[in-house]
Amino acid sequence: MGAAAMALALVAAGCGGGSGGPGGGGDDTTLTLWHMEQPPHRVEAWQKIIDDYNATDPEFPVEQQVQDWNQIYSKIAGAVQSQTQPDILFTIPDFTTYVRPLGAVQPVTDVVEELDSEHGFLEAATAPYRDDDEYWAVPLYGMVQMLWYRKDLLEKAGVTEAPQTWEELRAAAEAGTADGQSGIALPAGKNLATDQVIYSFLLTNGAGQFFTEDGEVDFDKPEVVETFEFYDQLMDYSPKDSANYSWGEPQAAFNSGAATMAVEKGQYLMPFEEESGRPAADLGCEFIPQPAEGGQPGSIFYSNAAMVMSQDEERAEGAEAFLSYLLESDTYGDFLNAEPGLFLPLTEDGKTAESWTSHEVISTYRECVDKMLEQSETGALFGFVDGQYVDKIGNVSGQNILAQVIQRITVEGEDPADAVAWGEEQMKAAVEE
Amino acid sequence: VTRDAALPTVDAGGADTAQMERRVPGVARPPLPRRGRARREKLFGIALVSPLVLIMLVIIAFPLANTVLLSLRNQGVIASPSAFVGFDTYRKVLGDPALWEAFGRSGIWLAGNLVVQTILAFVTALLLQRAGRWSRAARTWVLLPWVIPTVAVAVIWQWMTNSNYGIVTKALGLVGIDGVQFFADPTWALPTLIVMNSWHWFPLGAVIIYGALQTIPEEVYEAAAVDGANAWTTFWHITMPLLQPVLFALGLVGSLWSFNIVDSIYLVTRGGPAGSSTTAPVQIYDTAFKAFRASEAAAASVAAIVLLGILAWLYIRFAKPEEA
Repeated sequence: MGAAAMALALVAAGCGGGSGGPGGGGDDTTLTLWHMEQPPHRVEAWQKIIDDYNATDPEFPVEQQVQDWNQIYSKIAGAVQSQTQPDILFTIPDFTTYVRPLGAVQPVTDVVEELDSEHGFLEAATAPYRDDDEYWAVPLYGMVQMLWYRKDLLEKAGVTEAPQTWEELRAAAEAGTADGQSGIALPAGKNLATDQVIYSFLLTNGAGQFFTEDGEVDFDKPEVVETFEFYDQLMDYSPKDSANYSWGEPQAAFNSGAATMAVEKGQYLMPFEEESGRPAADLGCEFIPQPAEGGQPGSIFYSNAAMVMSQDEERAEGAEAFLSYLLESDTYGDFLNAEPGLFLPLTEDGKTAESWTSHEVISTYRECVDKMLEQSETGALFGFVDGQYVDKIGNVSGQNILAQVIQRITVEGEDPADAVAWGEEQMKAAVEE
Repeated sequence: VTRDAALPTVDAGGADTAQMERRVPGVARPPLPRRGRARREKLFGIALVSPLVLIMLVIIAFPLANTVLLSLRNQGVIASPSAFVGFDTYRKVLGDPALWEAFGRSGIWLAGNLVVQTILAFVTALLLQRAGRWSRAARTWVLLPWVIPTVAVAVIWQWMTNSNYGIVTKALGLVGIDGVQFFADPTWALPTLIVMNSWHWFPLGAVIIYGALQTIPEEVYEAAAVDGANAWTTFWHITMPLLQPVLFALGLVGSLWSFNIVDSIYLVTRGGPAGSSTTAPVQIYDTAFKAFRASEAAAASVAAIVLLGILAWLYIRFAKPEEA
């Protein structure tokens, strides 16, 4: 029975152990690393780094185990309960707020401060992991969104300058819309991709802070409504089935020439030439356009990091030693270039590390890469804006409330103000649980 | 040979016992008192079924009991600390219109799948039964949709219906039908998912029905033909009645199976757009693993189990074919 199967899943999540590591203790001297970067080339690139590290004969060698973002929430809960959690778990800020209450995450303040003095972390990299006067994860790589545009298609449409403002973006999208071609491809499905693009526009309109200083939900405000109205207007120039789009569809439309522009992170760089059949010079990038009046630079920015979950002190030190190894100049570039352009350096010396800059993709699209690094400095993530740390932000992001709001507007035709008010109620319910 | 083996008893389990004892010829044993023998048979029976009972306790009863206990608490994140709250969680969950709307969509999903899959399976089985080279070849190839992994099915259907390059969208455009957004329009999302899911699963039903058709003796059809029955009469008065037991079982198992489906829906629409394809299992999954309200998900699961139990009982009570 369906519900019975769901019941089994709930119990399995609560009681089941992971197949994973001995972070909870044990005789094994191998450290287990869980990450959720599934594409084979990323796994392969990181395996090479792990092999190199293990070749240095460390006290605790490392092995990676690839997990699924869709299952990691239930899997890590079961693993912690049965004390089979990994020694190292890759994370993003809101996932950390979920894992910490499970009780196995070790503070890494000392190692983060040491690495900061050695390599110089960006403020936006460490801030989302600081709470209760401790750091709870070691930042490893960043991701930021940009406006991507097809120079060839925009020029054909008579647009010679990349849009800088919302109005210019709307005009460019309109101009780029032709028979069989959309001016822009935006996600509007109920998914994280939609949340992220909307949030980038919210930031440029000064509406990225969803909480008061006291941690109360403060979402229903004019700037938010205005941003959703703008997104809804852009949807007129997006493919008709955008309400079911996630990450892949806009990129496919962009590379195939079915869309002129898109808003996404740096994964657009590597496959562009091969998938579009166009030269690299045809790929343009720009900061996220902002309102002409009262706008500000901004884009969603994810600082990806690693939590240490070893319960044994020596193993925890072994895990920290491996994470420090990843951030060394000679290693860091190879680590980032598991997905060149998408994984961005979070340290000052990482930005200039030859191991990173020498990669063909980075050197080919150096101008865009530099823009992404600049955009990173204005990046933010909801729940962690201005040094805030909202414990239950995972409950908000997990439900894709921003995506649900835009669906109510674009699909159901609901008034943006009403939809945003609904979103605020949902956020309040999520946070109050 | 003992007297018991030579003269089988007919008390509870007697036939089986007699057969069993016949399998040890030549072993002379003193006759047991009737009470002692009955007790021994009873213990033997318990020993035989106990592994199965144990397995069922571990894999069914324990998780269900655990879920019921979880539903009486107020747990958020799975495995996090929680307190006993009695039926408060049930009051909250059952008072939420979203759950009942999801049950409503589950009803549409279940009925839609039942109708579409039954028609597709029946028609396919009847075509497979025809003699000829194409029918013989089709008996293998018809299984293709069934063996394709659900993830691949989801991707294929999204490709086919994509507005930029989908073959279905392009084909409809050629005949003047533009703008159908199969998975992006609340009107079309659930029906399209039903068709997609039915396409994926109908071969299983077709093969089962085809197998059942093969068991109907040819003589029955020949007798009907002699009596002047036409194809329609033969179908309704011979084929359908003789297939009733198979169709009944297929309907019950298939319906419960269909209700269970989360992956097909989640991979394509995640319950959207605007909740239009959020069935009860999807709603429960979201509650547990997206909103992190484990107890509420457990309470909704228990409600679903009770509802399905009632539906299954009604189905058996009113749709069970009469014994021949």
